[in-house]
Amino acid sequence: MEMNAAGLAELFLYSVSMWWLIIPAVFIGILMGAIPGFAAHNTIIMLLPLTLAVDVDLALTFMVALYCASHLGGGIPAILLNIPGTGGAAATTLDGYPMSQQGNASRALALSFVASISGGLITSAVTLFMLQYLSQVGFYVRSVEMVVVMLFGLALIAAIAARDMIKGLIAGALGLMLGAMGADHIYATPRGTFGILELFDGVPLVPALIGLFAISEALIMLESRTIAPAASARAMPSWSQTFREILGAFRHWWLMLWTSLLGLVIGVLPGAGASIASFVAYQQARVFSRTPEAFGTGHEQGVVAPEAANNGVTTGTLVPLLAIGVPGGSTAAVMMVVLQFHGVPFGPRLFVQDPVLAYGVIMSMFVAYVFMLFTLFPLTRYLSRITVVANYYMAPMIVAFTLVGAFVPRNFMADLTIAVAFGLLGYVARKTGYNVAAILIGVILGPLLERSFLLSMRISGGDWTVFFSSVIGNVLWGLLAVTLLASPTMNLLRNLRSARNTQSKMEH
Amino acid sequence: MSDDNPSGRKQVGSDLVIPVVGMAYAVYYVYSVWEFPPEAQRSGFFLAGMLVVLGLIFFARIAVLALRGQVELEFHALLGPPEGRLRRLGFVGLIGAYLLTVQTLGFTLTTFAFLFLGSLVAGLESIRRAATFAAVAALSGWLFFIVLLGTRFPIGPFETLMNQVMPWR
Repeated sequence: MEMNAAGLAELFLYSVSMWWLIIPAVFIGILMGAIPGFAAHNTIIMLLPLTLAVDVDLALTFMVALYCASHLGGGIPAILLNIPGTGGAAATTLDGYPMSQQGNASRALALSFVASISGGLITSAVTLFMLQYLSQVGFYVRSVEMVVVMLFGLALIAAIAARDMIKGLIAGALGLMLGAMGADHIYATPRGTFGILELFDGVPLVPALIGLFAISEALIMLESRTIAPAASARAMPSWSQTFREILGAFRHWWLMLWTSLLGLVIGVLPGAGASIASFVAYQQARVFSRTPEAFGTGHEQGVVAPEAANNGVTTGTLVPLLAIGVPGGSTAAVMMVVLQFHGVPFGPRLFVQDPVLAYGVIMSMFVAYVFMLFTLFPLTRYLSRITVVANYYMAPMIVAFTLVGAFVPRNFMADLTIAVAFGLLGYVARKTGYNVAAILIGVILGPLLERSFLLSMRISGGDWTVFFSSVIGNVLWGLLAVTLLASPTMNLLRNLRSARNTQSKMEH
Repeated sequence: MSDDNPSGRKQVGSDLVIPVVGMAYAVYYVYSVWEFPPEAQRSGFFLAGMLVVLGLIFFARIAVLALRGQVELEFHALLGPPEGRLRRLGFVGLIGAYLLTVQTLGFTLTTFAFLFLGSLVAGLESIRRAATFAAVAALSGWLFFIVLLGTRFPIGPFETLMNQVMPWR
């Protein structure tokens, strides 16, 4: 199938024929997205036995629809309860919750739904037409550049997603180190395996991600009784109000357009996820607003901008995964694990061997948003109640059912122990501020980095300067240096300025 | 840094766990490739070197703060709030028990026992509700994962009995 207009139309119809899969995925995604701390990647992890068992196109359609819907679901408790369901909805609370307090919950929800769905539709349509150009990027990235791209991606995650850059870098480096475990590529001799036979093939990715995300999350959940106070679940809008406001929400179309595209661009950067995109969009919307003083008091634009942006991110995070095989965020990393299990290649090979699958990912996203238009509204009234499910039910269920997922890929009982070990590592990492997504992406990239590293060294005959021999590589080294130095330099300047101010105050 | 304490100093003890574990693993990794030919050692040395350098930078930062009296070595952040700490440790113990028994008892019985005890340890006060929740969830899990998806999880007395009752499965 060629990816011209006819090919895209055929792909659209094929994706529509998956309605029986997309609709349940949308409902599950919205439901889980509405649970704070339970992001799309956690839901996909819980359902790994399903996605690993079915065909790759079904698994992808399911995961993509669930991913988009969870971003939309995250806005519901943010607006009704002042509790963001996902990190990307944190900025939505700033104006969404004040709107609820003022009795405008229905309007805030309508704005959130319209902005989210429009943002998703716009960015997936743009990506569909840009993908043929983006897919060429992989042809210019050889083993030398891949080493720098992977290090750059990890540095970005450390700099942006982690609150403390050095901790983020340590998390990423630890992930790379763990990812390099197992038989080496040249002599097939085991390294760093503690003599455990099940680790000779390297760290199994599914148990690692189940441990780092799901089990550690369950352990942290036990620190509180419920996610939201029971009384807050009573704050539900009426349906007549909600539907009346939907049409009115479209008057913000221009804001939806540019903030969703902003989200798309930010989403393409590894590590810069929905939470960053939504805050950047919120800030930019305030800068360009005619009524900046109204932001934070229940302003409609303050709901539209972050919601459109965080749904724009969903498309963006998949672009680097498809184009060069580097996941743009946690959910993309989880999807990469599932796709690797199914033997799907990434980068240029994907577009040569299986272009339908590559374009199908984005088309599924587009179709999922179309379905959300028709299926979402009748259910939202009851969704906020999920946030009062007690953690004493949630935590044991997460552990028991995700451990099944850890077992499925290899049928090794040892993988359950590996998942629990990574769960404890993830718990310690979360409690002490080390980014678990950086560890996971390090584990995924470890073997890829090693392969590219060894290939480059072999081509150059062991000459280390090969890593500085290409223009693209050198530009990326430059960006890597800027990324690493920007934050400490800014801190230093800020400290100097505050010291100078204190001194001048004392002199006066 | 993990936490503030009443004295106003940052608690950094628990922050050291990940770098110390990471550096220890890096040293072990280098030891495990020590006898390899140089070509096979390179990537290991590169990654271990990167992790050790980052760890040393982090330790240097902590040392500077310690010299200024701004930090103290405490590990409270690791265990979370004092309320319910025993319950959480008990829950971790239950996960260990799950791993030890699942091969003998099989998916359904182990899941039932884990959910029942896990919900009680996690704070559910009604034994009847815990039993109902565990039974419904374990049976749903068996239906979904074992019957529907055909997951080859270890089978125990319950699965053996069901295979005899429903031989057509």
